Amino acid sequence: MAALRGVVRWTWLVMLLALAACGGRAAPAQGAEVATLVQAEAVRGQWNDTAAPASGWVPVTLQDQWQTRWPGHDGVVLYRVRFEHDGTRPVGLLLHYLCMAGAVYVNGSLVARDPSLVEPLSRSWMQPQYYLLDAPLLKRGENELLVRVSGLTAYQPAFGKVSVGDPRRVEALYRDQKLVRFDLQMLDTAIGAVLAAVFGMFWLLRRQDTTYGWYALKGLFGMLYGLNWVARSPWPFASTDAWQAFIAACFIALNAIFPIFLLRFAERRWRRFERTVLGIGALVFVLALALPQWMGPYRNAYVAPAIAFGYLVTTVFVAWAWRHGRTDQRVLALCIAIGPLVSVYDTAIYLGWLRGSAYLGSFTSPATLLGMGFVLAYRFARTMKRVESFNLELTREVQAATSHLADTLNRQHALELAHSRAGERLQLVRDLHDGFGGTLVGAIARLEQAPADTPKTQVVDLLKDMRDDLRLVIDTTAQEQADLAGLIAPLRHRASRLLEAADIDARWQLHGLDGLQLEPARSLDLLRLLQEALTNAFKHSRAQRVDVRIAREGERLRLQVRDDGVGLAEAGSVARIDGGGAGFASMRLRAQRLGGELRVRAAMPGTELLLDMPLAA
Amino acid sequence: MQGDEIALTSVLVVEDDPAMQARARRVLQEVAGDGIRIEAAGDIATAHERIGDTDFTLALVDVQLPDGNGIDFIAWLREHAPRVPAVVVSSWAAEDTLLAALRNGAIGYLLKNAEDVELAMHLRSLQRGGAPIDPVIARRLLQLMPQAAPVPAPAEEIHLSARETEILHMVARGLSNREIAEATTLSRLTIESHTRNIYRKLAVGSRTEAVFEAQTRGLLH
Repeated sequence: MAALRGVVRWTWLVMLLALAACGGRAAPAQGAEVATLVQAEAVRGQWNDTAAPASGWVPVTLQDQWQTRWPGHDGVVLYRVRFEHDGTRPVGLLLHYLCMAGAVYVNGSLVARDPSLVEPLSRSWMQPQYYLLDAPLLKRGENELLVRVSGLTAYQPAFGKVSVGDPRRVEALYRDQKLVRFDLQMLDTAIGAVLAAVFGMFWLLRRQDTTYGWYALKGLFGMLYGLNWVARSPWPFASTDAWQAFIAACFIALNAIFPIFLLRFAERRWRRFERTVLGIGALVFVLALALPQWMGPYRNAYVAPAIAFGYLVTTVFVAWAWRHGRTDQRVLALCIAIGPLVSVYDTAIYLGWLRGSAYLGSFTSPATLLGMGFVLAYRFARTMKRVESFNLELTREVQAATSHLADTLNRQHALELAHSRAGERLQLVRDLHDGFGGTLVGAIARLEQAPADTPKTQVVDLLKDMRDDLRLVIDTTAQEQADLAGLIAPLRHRASRLLEAADIDARWQLHGLDGLQLEPARSLDLLRLLQEALTNAFKHSRAQRVDVRIAREGERLRLQVRDDGVGLAEAGSVARIDGGGAGFASMRLRAQRLGGELRVRAAMPGTELLLDMPLAA
Repeated sequence: MQGDEIALTSVLVVEDDPAMQARARRVLQEVAGDGIRIEAAGDIATAHERIGDTDFTLALVDVQLPDGNGIDFIAWLREHAPRVPAVVVSSWAAEDTLLAALRNGAIGYLLKNAEDVELAMHLRSLQRGGAPIDPVIARRLLQLMPQAAPVPAPAEEIHLSARETEILHMVARGLSNREIAEATTLSRLTIESHTRNIYRKLAVGSRTEAVFEAQTRGLLH
């Protein structure tokens, strides 16, 4: 945009000069008390002249540019303007235009002087000059204003019109002109610099978004170019040529970067084109710094094509945005089109095609800059929104995925639970079948073979055996997590109570059973064996005392049940062998299943039963 | 330390199975002699009526009854006839059922699958003021006690004395009362009255609370 701003400025400057040449129209505020003087006399002088030459004066019409009259004259021209004054009131004096540096004398007295009247020349061309004059400087009757102008022909050396009159009105005129030519330019340059800095920081923090970077670079050169309207000396350059060459080079750089910025904004990349314009820009810059004496005076040779190029780029972008662009691209197109459009409007007013007297150029430039800033900020906000909505979407998807996963896991868990329940049921059925089922079948077989007059007690005993067995099955099944110590506890408790009721002293010794886990089926077999051994002792031995010892010895388990009742070998123990026959047989069977060895031997007195089995199956 | 002795003079048997009723009569008479008065009720409604008629010294209550749950009846008893101690009579003992009964104020439980001689021992123990306990229930009670590590829900806790805890541990390992007595140098009766106290501690303040608590823990249906 700064490029177009430049274009507007150039256009505006051209118009101003044309205006001045035309005369009259530029001072609408002047009334009876303000006289705008256009008649003057001029004479050439040397750089170091201290006094006005006496001869050689020629009449000129202000505004005067001397390069047409005295081509090639780099140096001083003195302008003399005469005006009438009644000598009673102070007057305001306005010098509309002076290029480049000057000194002002009234009636031979110095009123103002620029710091440097020789190279490097002070730069006073940007703003009008206003002075308040009074007696005794002013004389009654004719007064003489002498302005010594230092200038270079290459840079339109000129002296503008002079307004004299009521100080308030002249000062108002001065303020209007200063606002348009200097204050607004200053504001413009400042806004451009701030925006460039802000978006430059965006780019520094987010290098991948090169649009902001190009805008910042363009803004930087725009600001440097804008210094031409602000700086009062060519510093840090040593000559006006060097300064002008530098400013022109900045303008070229601006026009090289401008299309690249537009391309990025349109999300395009034309590598060859971009390289070419950047190459040209860089070349001009190097030349300007290396050969200011050429690049300064002949700047129109490359500035004019650059202006045309800027117009072309603007036109192409506007046309593209109108047809294919998004909203922000269209707004940008509008912003960059305002410059050329306003210059057309101003030209139309100047040429009298449109009614009105307000030139818009300098006023629209800051507005345009702000519009550009808005577009870039809008673009940034849009990106942020996209990121935010993407985050939102991401969150939603993560949530969906999480809940889906949770569902799956829950289903899986439920399935596993169902499986394990089914497994448990199956295990229970198997325990009942293997354990209680066998006892039941055995009981049925025994009852079937028993004589018809089998005593009731025998049947009841059989049923009680089955009840005890069922109880063991339930104990082991219900406490599947319990260790062997826990599994034995209910049996021990119950057996102890029964033995106690029968006045049999039961002594238990358990060693190393805490935390010992056997397979459920093996636990059951072991408990059954123990129960049968105890039942044997309880029912048949007529013992006083029963010793039970169960001990873990390494990877083996030893079970010992000893009573002090009638031994196996004794004559009176027929009943025991009879009644216990089935019991011993099933105990042996269980010992076999446990992978162990069962020994029954006579103790003195009584019987001792020993089981030695491995812990593992 | 001695628990309240129970004179087996007038006993209410709440039991719907006639055979089991007969068995209960037989065992009770064996323990208390012929002078004992025994009333039988086949359901809870009848039991309610009987309670109004007589001052019973003991109620034996089956869990599954035609018109309801025996544990509810025990809770009712605790509120309306607190002087009648109740003992649960259950067939195969589900630990949760027994615990719920004890929490509702039962002072003991009899298992139908026990031998007559065992039932008789149990009743004699009650007569003396004791209350036997078996290893499986002891294990459950130990689980309900506050642990040193992260504590379970406070409502589930019961606070037992060191002696009671010691006894419970021994019971859980299957030691007989005689063995515990030898190990602790206490009398068997003292040990039984300790367990009776444990049951008392288990029963919480009011009936409503107890039932509510039992229901929230899924012990009642």
